[in-house]
This record gives sequence, C-alpha cells and structure tokens, in this order.
Amino acid sequence: MAVDLPSFLHLARPLAPAAIGVQPTTAPVNVIIQPQAVFSILDHAIRRDIRDTQSTRVIGALLGVRSEDGMEVEVRNCFAIPHTENEDQVEVDVEYQKNMLALQLKASPREVLLGWYTTSLELNSFSALIQNFFASPETGTFPHPAVHLTVSTESGKEIEAKAYISAPVGVNAERAAESCLFIPVPYEIRYGEAEKSGLELISGAKDSENRAAPVVSDIEGLERAVDQTLDLLDRVAEYVSSILDEERDPSNALGQFLMNALSLAPKVDPQDIERDFNNHIQDVLVVSYLANTIRTQIDLSQRLATATLTMGGTDALAATGGGEGGERGERGGQRGGNRGGRGGGRGGGRGGREQREPREPAE
Amino acid sequence: MQYCFVEGSFADLARELAEYLHVEVGDNLDANLKDEVLKKLVTASAGLNSYPEKEFTAAYNLLVYLVMQSPSVNMFLPRICENLSKPITSAPVNGAGLALNVLTTIFNLLQPDNEVRSNVFTAILRLVKNSGNFETLRPQLKKLDTWIEEWDLDEEDQRKLFGQLADVAEENGEQGESYQYVLKALRTFESAEYSSKEAQDLSLRALKAALVSTTHFDFHDLTSLPTIQALSDDHSEYSELLEIFSEKELEDYNDFRDENEDWLETEGLDNSVLHRKMRLLTLASVAASTNSKELEYKRIAKALQIPVEDVEMWVIDVIRAGLIEGKLSQQKQVFLIHRTTYRVFGEKQWREVATRLDTWRSSLRAVKEVISRERQQAEAQKERELHEAERKIAGASGMGAGRRTIGGRENMVEMGTD
Repeated sequence: MAVDLPSFLHLARPLAPAAIGVQPTTAPVNVIIQPQAVFSILDHAIRRDIRDTQSTRVIGALLGVRSEDGMEVEVRNCFAIPHTENEDQVEVDVEYQKNMLALQLKASPREVLLGWYTTSLELNSFSALIQNFFASPETGTFPHPAVHLTVSTESGKEIEAKAYISAPVGVNAERAAESCLFIPVPYEIRYGEAEKSGLELISGAKDSENRAAPVVSDIEGLERAVDQTLDLLDRVAEYVSSILDEERDPSNALGQFLMNALSLAPKVDPQDIERDFNNHIQDVLVVSYLANTIRTQIDLSQRLATATLTMGGTDALAATGGGEGGERGERGGQRGGNRGGRGGGRGGGRGGREQREPREPAE
Repeated sequence: MQYCFVEGSFADLARELAEYLHVEVGDNLDANLKDEVLKKLVTASAGLNSYPEKEFTAAYNLLVYLVMQSPSVNMFLPRICENLSKPITSAPVNGAGLALNVLTTIFNLLQPDNEVRSNVFTAILRLVKNSGNFETLRPQLKKLDTWIEEWDLDEEDQRKLFGQLADVAEENGEQGESYQYVLKALRTFESAEYSSKEAQDLSLRALKAALVSTTHFDFHDLTSLPTIQALSDDHSEYSELLEIFSEKELEDYNDFRDENEDWLETEGLDNSVLHRKMRLLTLASVAASTNSKELEYKRIAKALQIPVEDVEMWVIDVIRAGLIEGKLSQQKQVFLIHRTTYRVFGEKQWREVATRLDTWRSSLRAVKEVISRERQQAEAQKERELHEAERKIAGASGMGAGRRTIGGRENMVEMGTD
C-alpha cells in the first residue's frame, strides 16, 4: 500500500506514569498494522449504515499486542462500535464497547485494547473527545498512549492511513479533559509471505472485468515466479550491457553488489549433482509407487462399496454374492467352453485319436 | 491539517496560562493585542523548566497552541526553542525527552514548507547531540532529503545541516553514519569552491575517517568526489595515500611509509592501523587476481609478508571484514575462494557480471521450458483422468457393461498364459 504522508517528526511521546518499578519513558512509539485489521476496517466502512446518522465515518476499537517497553504497538484485530454524530454532539455506545471488548479479550487473552480507528482522515473536535475517552485511565489504555488510526475510505481514491497518539493541552484539569493534541506517529503495514501472496492474488482481480481471480496451482505459481525473475534479469542485463557499451557511468558499489549476488550460487560439480539427483529420484519413485498402490487400493474398496450400495439391503448382499458367483461360474463356463471347443475341433478332425484324449493329463 | 483541538477562546486560554505562570497580562485581550500578551507569556515560559514534569507537556502544548495562532509566529519560536534547550530542572531523567516532545510538536504544527521548520530541526539536533538520543532520531532521518527539498535550503545551509548531523552522529559513537553525512556535505560544494579552505577541511575529515575506519574498505566513493581530487595540489601526501589504499598493494604502502614517516606522525595517522588495513586489502586483491579459485598459503604469506603459520588468522580476519568469502583447506594448504571484492571494478569485472547474468538467464529459461512442458503434460493427464472417471461412472451405471470389460480383460490374460 503506497503511503504518502505529510512529513512529520516523531522523537518522543508524552510522559505518562508507568507501572511501579518501570521507569517512565518518553521513547517514541512505532505502530505496526496487520493487514487483516485494515481489511476489517474497510469492510466496516463499506457496510456502514447511512440511514439514520449524518456522519460520514464509522469508528471502532483497535486490539493487538504491545511490546514490553511499549515502543512497539501491533494492531492485529478490531471491532466496530456504533456511534452517531450530528452538528453539536457525538454519541458512542459505551456499553456495547465494554461488552464487546470483554468478549474479544476472552477469545484472545493475549490481546489488549490499543486505541480506536475511524474511516476518514479528518481530525475534528469529536475526535479529540473520543480520543480522550480511549486514553483515559478508566475506560482506555492509560498509562500507555491510545493509538488513533485514520483510514481514508473514499471510493475511487487511493487508500491512505495515518496514525496518531495524543498529548494533553491546558493548565487545568477541566480544560485538559476537553482538549487534545494529536501527535502523528510512524506506522508500518506488515505482512508475512503467505499474506503477501494472498493479497497479490486478490489484487489480480482488480483489473479484470468480472472481478474474479483464479487460484493458481503450485506449478503455475512457479512458472510465474520464473517469469518474474527472468524479467528482472533482463533489466539487470540491459543495465550491464549499457555500461559495457559506455552509455552509462558505471557504479562500483552496484557492480560489486551484483558480483556478490551472482557469486552466491554454490559451486558444485555436475557429477555430484547428478549423483545427488539420482539418489533423490529413487526416493521420489518409491513414494510415487507407494502412492499409486494406495490409490489402487482405495479405488478397489470404493468399487466394492458402490457395488453394495446399488443393490441395497441384505437381499442385495445375497444377490451380490449370487452375482459374483454367477460371474465366476460364467468365467468357468467360458473356460470350459474354450477347451471343450478345442477338443471338439480335434475330435471332429481325426476321429481315430479320440481314445488317446483322456490320457493327456496323465502324461 | 489541524492537529490541536482546544475548547475555549484565545482570551480565556491566555488568561489561564498567565495565571498559571504568575504573570500580569491585564485586561487588554483584544485580538489586535495578541502579540503583546504572547510576548509576556513566552518571556515567562522560561520558568516552566522548573514546573513539575507531569504538567510540563500540557502547559507547553497550550503555549505552543496559542503562539501558533499569532500571525507573527516566527518571532516567538526562536525564544521557545532556546528555553527548551536549557536543562529542565524538575525532570533530570526525562528532561530531554520532554523537551524533544515539545520541539517535535512545534515542528509538526508548522507547515511542511515553512523554513522555520529547519531552525526548529537545528534546535532538535542540538538537543539530540547533548542528550545522546541519536538512536531515536536515526529512523526519522530517511525523510531528510524530502525536508531539504521542502525547506528549499541552499547549498551552504545544506552543508551546515549535514555537518551538524555528522557531529551528532560522531558524538554518539556512530562513525559510519557520521562519515556518510560528511560525504553528503562534500557533495554540496560547487565547482568553484573545490579548493576552498572549507572544502579541504571537510575532505580531509572524510579521508581520515575512511582511512582509520575498521569497517570501510571501498575508497571509490572518495576518489570519485571532485573535492577529494582537488586535494592533490595542496595535500599531495593524502592523495597519494588514498591512491595506495584504493588500488595498490602492501609493498607500495611500505615504501610510502618509509618515505613519509614524519608526516604520518604529525597527521596523527596510526601506522599499525593503516598497515593492518592494507594487509586485508592486499589479500582481497590477490584473491581477485587468481583465476583458479584456489590460493596457496605460500602465496598469501608472500603477498602479506607474514609467516605461513599466520595465514589462516589473516584470512579469517579478511573474511570477517566482508572482503572475501571462501573455505580454508588445511590439508591441501590452500584457500578456496567463493567470492571476492574487487577493489577496482573495471570493464573486465563488468563483463564477468554480464556473462554470469547470461548463464543464469539461459539456465532459467531452460528451467522454465521444463516447467511449462510438465505443466502441459499434467494438464493433459488430468484431462485423461477426467475422461477415465467419466467413463467409469458411465460403466458403473449399467452393471452389465462393467462386467463385460472385466470378463474381456480376464480373457486376454488367459490367452497369454495358455
């Protein structure tokens, strides 16, 4: 996700009393967001109920884990909170939030409340009120700072996000309760390999007419990866050849880097590879042989099972037995017929030798 | 973008803050007298440094909020920055953090293209330098280039900024970072200033840092800088030494040392450090110049002028420095080279890169062919299996048909064995 933030600086967070035995700190905060939380937020934005509220945004709570020193906050999960906003007041369903939070924490005990999100980039005085609610000692994350995540959800535009924590403003308590200074903090959307390929797959549907992307098989994925690597190699080769043709100024560092990367390939004899490969292929063959055997077994048992089913009931069982017997009998008959036919043929040809015929088995 | 939300009018807030700071602002809180009031408040705010640390941030935030509303913001900010640079007596441990917090708030509340931001940033740098907080600053420095663009700094200011950053980094024991900023500062010089005193001083600083650093081995970044090239007139020894380190071998260094022993001493360059580094570099050169990928211990010993017993120790040191990679074979008394660093990366090396790329490309193409063939086969196989399955289903629906096939097959076997 491309993020173009207005530049800001974050070096220290507001001081807050920490748990006993831990030095209060002003170390900066870094927010990490897991993609499933973002998806959940976007989903909430799409399903928002626009009938009975004037507000263009929805809000919800952020859940996740916080590192021991509090410097890193990881948003893993979130849930929606119903709220209504109009010109001069904002209402948040606190009861719902409390119950939902309790349930969520029961389901995943390692997660804690981290802050809240909203689906518009705008900050306003209502934001300040809600932020203070989430940062307060009774209902919020105090003594840790509450994280406020804003995600733009205007359709047709790039999705943007911003993260904030807050600091108090004012010299007396009443003033501070109604005021709030938002401090922008850096954030990072972090996903693992599996999530990344999943997201890539989904974004593949973006350009197609019917908004669907097929799930690629392993071998197709491999082919695609090889294609990508070839593309990259072509680009690098182009760069190198432009240097060799003296069209570009060479960069020592880049050359050295390429050389290092290209030297990473292990140096092995082709013979060694052949030997290792042959050893390996034998294992593979054994496995595939066993797999085939098992498949045959399964086929066989399935055939037997369906045969029973088509007849149905105990009568059917007997009938199957009869059928099988009949089959066998028929086969026997066929055999007998075969031989008989042959014998008959001979008998028909040379009548005189008919008496020697019974002696044959004895020989 | 509005970050700050405070209930109440300017007059109310100013009066509260004035009460808190114990200053008289009178009743003239009209809009046109804002600056008068603010002047008094800012003057009194020096006293905030001794207020309890719990209230410090909130009070300062209010002050900053009020100041930001004034049309002549730039008049007050230098004063506030100055106050914040002084030690905060009430918070000996977190003082620097508190001050940084307020300074960053000021920084963020200013418009990105406001040049006062650069002054605030300078104040932040000063504070970071004194409090040893470089670690927290470092991740943010990625944005430095954008900031410089936004603030529209001229070369001289940029140089000053880079110089300051280099100082901060050096103060906090980050020699590598410091060196990078000196280089950045060097790049800001115009061609007319290449031989100026300032340029020479900075160049020498960078050069010395690179020579004695234990982790820096690529001198190409220096030799390509015009300011460094300009040194050859006034500081011929330095440029000679740089040449030796970037291209030549141990013997050349020894000759140089014998000739310029006094100069090395007066310049404060430690011979043992330079000598050691030169050995590491020489081994890299020797490794790069062999074609066979094998290097006998004897050759290493000769090139490095060390006894054969010490060869392994030196090779390990060079590997640790990241200049080469490979395996030592004690049995055969050779060093098997996997990867080497080329101190001079010339056309030959680029050709080597090109051929290796080509090999890789062609083998990958072959792999791809195999894969697509296998995929097509697998698809065909799947289709066949599908047909087979369909036929089986069709066969199972009529028992007779199934039996006949079995009977027929049985016949075939019988015929064969008979």
